[in-house]
Amino acid sequence: MNETTQNLLVFGGVLFVIGMVGFMTRRSLILMFLSLEMMLSGVSVNLIAFSRHHQNYQGQILAVMVLTIAACEAAIALALVVSLYRRKATLDVAAWDDLSETLIPKVIEAPQTLEEPAMEFPKLTPAGLDPLSRPISANFDAQSMENGESVKASTLEAGTHA
Amino acid sequence: MNLLNNYFLNSAFFAQADADSAVPAAVSQVVEQAAPGQTWSNSMLVPIVLGAVGYLLIQHGVVKTKAYFAGGVVAMLLAVGFALGFTPGTFESYVLMSFCAVATGGGIGFLTAREPVYAALGFATAVLSFCGVLFMQSALFIAAATMIVYAGATIIIFLFVLMFAQQVELRTYDVQLNNPLVAAAIGAILLATITMCVTDNQAILPVRADSTRAMSLANLPDNLSSEAGKEASKKLDAIDPNLRYVPKLTAGLGRSMYTDYLVAVELAGTVLLVATIGAIALAQRTTETQS
Repeated sequence: MNETTQNLLVFGGVLFVIGMVGFMTRRSLILMFLSLEMMLSGVSVNLIAFSRHHQNYQGQILAVMVLTIAACEAAIALALVVSLYRRKATLDVAAWDDLSETLIPKVIEAPQTLEEPAMEFPKLTPAGLDPLSRPISANFDAQSMENGESVKASTLEAGTHA
Repeated sequence: MNLLNNYFLNSAFFAQADADSAVPAAVSQVVEQAAPGQTWSNSMLVPIVLGAVGYLLIQHGVVKTKAYFAGGVVAMLLAVGFALGFTPGTFESYVLMSFCAVATGGGIGFLTAREPVYAALGFATAVLSFCGVLFMQSALFIAAATMIVYAGATIIIFLFVLMFAQQVELRTYDVQLNNPLVAAAIGAILLATITMCVTDNQAILPVRADSTRAMSLANLPDNLSSEAGKEASKKLDAIDPNLRYVPKLTAGLGRSMYTDYLVAVELAGTVLLVATIGAIALAQRTTETQS
């Protein structure tokens, strides 16, 4: 057993395990499907390592076959995902749980989101009058304060015309 | 017609080549045992367990706190360091190992990233470094084809992900994982089992020439210095000088594909055709039938 072959076989195993863990933990249909592709690439590493080890083409040809079938699988899986998404407008696998046995009670989960750090606003130097120390009366009219009596007269005129 | 004729001519030629290449038994059992591999020791469990723990910490830390994330990264690096400790080697093997490490890192990013776009990016990283590994194993055609197929497929999946996940905030099913603890435990057990099998030196036969097919005659450049090797190489040169560099030539791969494995290639093409038709039929909108 060659050392390089051994390392590559372990590497193929690592890729396969990563794909498998992803397939078991992920809940989005597309990401589960990507995990499947990862498992297939682990298998390809395995085949090519043995092709190199035995010094013939059989492993490489098998890897070409794996590639071909992976392409077919990608086409069909994406078409299926599209048609599933059209029905329920979600990529969640749990949405299709009612296809499985109904013995297991359904767990309603609380929505969970990524926690974002609290926003910090810059502190500005205070300007103008403090409304707490000089409270503004409830019937304060800023327009009449600015323009004085003339505005009041014009509005009165308009009122009488109407 | 011309093509058919050519094919029959070729098959006759290769049948003749098969007959010519009846290598004596002494040559057909060329055994190459340059560097015997590692044998299993329980300390090999350390990087596996560390990797599983690192995965759990990272996937927790991505959602919750940075400290867990940093701890997970440290655990991953330790695991890689331990794994490298088991494989002392040459510069070439270190390049290979670094490709493997980058691919594993991309895979971990793919597993733990909660935003689908980042997960797809991690997948692309893993696949590209995986192609680097294939290049270093002199499987050039497969590396190029993988890059085209997977990169193309990955780009399409990118588009799908972006199309489906247009929301600004993340969906619950992207953030929550299904039982990561159980999955990591099963993965660690499987990886330990694989490693245990692979490190058993008796489990996998040593390199052995295969004289049943002309295209797959083993002919290591390393072995050609011996008397038997010289004899075999003379015979092979008489048949086809290219045969000597067996697993390295893309042309040889093509010839083997279209002679030895012609039926398999045709079947694969048929499967591709069926898959294309099926994908188009499945993805069609069925508004006519509803109305």
